[in-house]
Amino acid sequence: MLSKDKMSYPKLTEPRTVRVKFRKVGNLQYISHLDLQRTISRVLVRAGIPMWYTQGFNPHAKIVFGLPLSVGAESECEYLDLRIDRDMSCEEIKQRLNSVLTDELCVLDAYVAPKTVFADIVWAEYDIRIRAEGLTEALADEMQTYLTTSPLMMDKKSKSGIRQVDITTLTRSLRATVVDGELRIAAVLCVSGADYLNPEYLIRALRERFGIMPEDDVVSEYSILRTRVYLADGETEFN
Amino acid sequence: MRTETENKSTALGSTLLKSVSKPGRYAGGEYGQTLKDKTAVKARFAFAFPDSYEIGMSNLGMRILYGALNREDDIWCERVFTPWEDMQDKMRAHDLPLCALESGDPIGEFDFLGFTLQYEMCYTNVLNMLALSHIPLRAEARGENDPIVIGGGPCAYNPEPVAPFFDLFNIGEGEEMLPEIVRLYIKMKDEGRYTRADFLHEAAATISGVYVPSLYEVTYNEDGTVKAYTPLYDDIPKTVQKRIVKDLDKAYFPDEVVMPYIETVQDRITVEVGRGCIRGCRFCQAGMVYRPVREKTPAVIDCQARALFDRTGYEEMSLSSLSISDYTRVDELTDMLLSWTNDHMVSLSLPSLRADSFTRELMEKVSSIRNSTITFAPEAGSQRLRDVINKNLYEEDLMRAVNVAFEAGKNQVKLYFMQGHPTETDEDLAEIPALAHRVVSAYYQNPNRGKGGRPPQVTISVSPFIPKPFTPFQWEAQDSLEEMRRKQAYVGECVTDRKVKYNHHDAETCRIEAVLARGDRRLADALELGCREGFKFDAWSEYFNYEKWMSVFERTGIDPAFYANRAWGLDEVLPWDIIDCGVTKAFLKRERAKAYEAATTPNCREGCSGCGANKLGGERACCPKTK
Ligand code: SF4
Repeated sequence: MLSKDKMSYPKLTEPRTVRVKFRKVGNLQYISHLDLQRTISRVLVRAGIPMWYTQGFNPHAKIVFGLPLSVGAESECEYLDLRIDRDMSCEEIKQRLNSVLTDELCVLDAYVAPKTVFADIVWAEYDIRIRAEGLTEALADEMQTYLTTSPLMMDKKSKSGIRQVDITTLTRSLRATVVDGELRIAAVLCVSGADYLNPEYLIRALRERFGIMPEDDVVSEYSILRTRVYLADGETEFN
Repeated sequence: MRTETENKSTALGSTLLKSVSKPGRYAGGEYGQTLKDKTAVKARFAFAFPDSYEIGMSNLGMRILYGALNREDDIWCERVFTPWEDMQDKMRAHDLPLCALESGDPIGEFDFLGFTLQYEMCYTNVLNMLALSHIPLRAEARGENDPIVIGGGPCAYNPEPVAPFFDLFNIGEGEEMLPEIVRLYIKMKDEGRYTRADFLHEAAATISGVYVPSLYEVTYNEDGTVKAYTPLYDDIPKTVQKRIVKDLDKAYFPDEVVMPYIETVQDRITVEVGRGCIRGCRFCQAGMVYRPVREKTPAVIDCQARALFDRTGYEEMSLSSLSISDYTRVDELTDMLLSWTNDHMVSLSLPSLRADSFTRELMEKVSSIRNSTITFAPEAGSQRLRDVINKNLYEEDLMRAVNVAFEAGKNQVKLYFMQGHPTETDEDLAEIPALAHRVVSAYYQNPNRGKGGRPPQVTISVSPFIPKPFTPFQWEAQDSLEEMRRKQAYVGECVTDRKVKYNHHDAETCRIEAVLARGDRRLADALELGCREGFKFDAWSEYFNYEKWMSVFERTGIDPAFYANRAWGLDEVLPWDIIDCGVTKAFLKRERAKAYEAATTPNCREGCSGCGANKLGGERACCPKTK
């Protein structure tokens, strides 16, 4: 049983990089990027994935994570690359991982990594939903106009401090509608380096301008789901 | 596209959860948690750890009991921890009840709420959690629909200060007793003869280890000491005997492990190798109440360790025992474990090593001791005082151990001590820094010490003595607060070498701990008042407030000195006399008398000293069998 006999698989001459696309939703949205990294390294051990270990004094498995996802946001398109040193098929890797994961954090796809790197990802599509009192189609129109009319200046935190940013310049597209009394915003936002626009900024902008969803409100709810990630052209999906 | 994740019935709106610190504490959803259909089970049990998620999830006992209950198909055990202050504030502001992690259902709807009482300073969190669950604090105020509130764990050996808040206590090891209690409840419900009162009475009368405090009347003497405990019924025990699991090899071992996503205090595999300790240090409660010493066989431990590795993926493993090097087959066990742990990059650690068993071989085997710090607990600075406390450790042993460590390249030594042991003088205290100074010199005198040229660092950490129930020192007075502080300052003045770092434990906390440790039921008033005034997380220095404690004592007519600073009479009825933990009072008195003569007692393996715990039985115990 121990580590599910990964040792019986033939050794590869060169380590192989496998790209894993995974989901992180529900309760898992509250788990930080750092905690996710720790979790994944244990998941790989309990699934018996034949990880390639770095050589040297302090050997460790090589795992590269894609974009960070903010706490409080869910995703159907997270990525990580891992390196294996034994010939285990991608399909088996997916199955093994899913046997030690829950539905809220599970592998959607695993394949030999193509040449792309995570830094190629520039845009992400989000499905934002807000359940609150008094949402109407007219209000949705007003919100859409507000969020897409330049300039919409907001204090944006980054490593180098707080600066004023026109968030509409980091928004590729945005549409707001009301379905069943629930506000839905479909937005494509920049996720590239220092221009990364956390979708929480949209929530904050709406909170400040329209007074919906006061913080620590227990009646209204909102969710943020990342659905797709794109290359710089905003059209080609990353894989 | 979008997967609608099943919405827990929790009242904690997502907006709220997004606005608190570390929301992962409240999210649940961990791999390995047990989910059941609540309409299909007959009893729901909320297992509460009265501290933060990160502390509670590191507790081995909780993991065992969670599994032991959930293995029963018709019982669903869930977890609940103390919400951090920011979350508590929001829950109160919006009138949201405390909920269990798995189902998100309010605790008040459960059949049972079981608290594990690991340290006295968690008592205010217990009350706090009851209040947040909208459950009446006092057992007598609870109705038929309130959960049965159960307490267990080490503090249940003197449950009296919190007795009025509990319906029932588990005395001793719970993995068999707890399911029996719930089974009785289910049986009485099935047979249509359940009432709260009848259930508590029947549990007390028929399940060994069950203590129902409301079924005993306590009277007091005029001087404030306890006069008597009188059972209200003839069919319940006069003293409640501790329950043990006789054969640890056959003890329930959880085959599922809940894997926390957020970092906890102990993110590693913990394998239990045995229970109890052969040593008998006279201040140590764990060393007495977990007797008799029982061991698991190496093959069983190895098999459980492998299973835990497979289920967790943790790459660090620690062997749990009060004193691991006293495990009779420690070499065989470590060889067995190392035969696979190295290949799987699992590092093995052995906490609680004694200096007299610290060898080069052991150190080379076990990686955790490959880091630069080595820790020992001489507990007293002078040999005379180490004999008083029955530490059975000589300075030569310590010096040999630190030299082994220095030769292996270590340069940091951490030494734990206590101050305020019975018969202690300032000369004894001065020996604490003196010993540390001698360790520093030993480093420089060792020609084979590790290269690298870093100077040695010796940290001495000194905590005040707390008299604990069921120890030979249970009758002793704790130093007054002023005296504790004077001694702390004195030890500090005796440190003359900058390579010696001196830490001491907070005296005020230790005083409150002493009051609670030896407390009786009258303390409940103070705890209740404290709860109403917002006491919480008293084990955390940032929340503990000594003046506030003094104030609630004063307003409820409690004299803390009566409990902490009084030398108790040997013939006094003790609040914990209602409990029989196996070790007899006669033995504790003998040990106390020997302490005053600085005479040591051999460990259980060298010879039985007749403590009485062998009457409880136990496989692979070192005790003589009783007939
Ligand atoms: S009965 Fe004897 S051997 Fe057993 S725990 Fe007590 S003193 Fe030790």
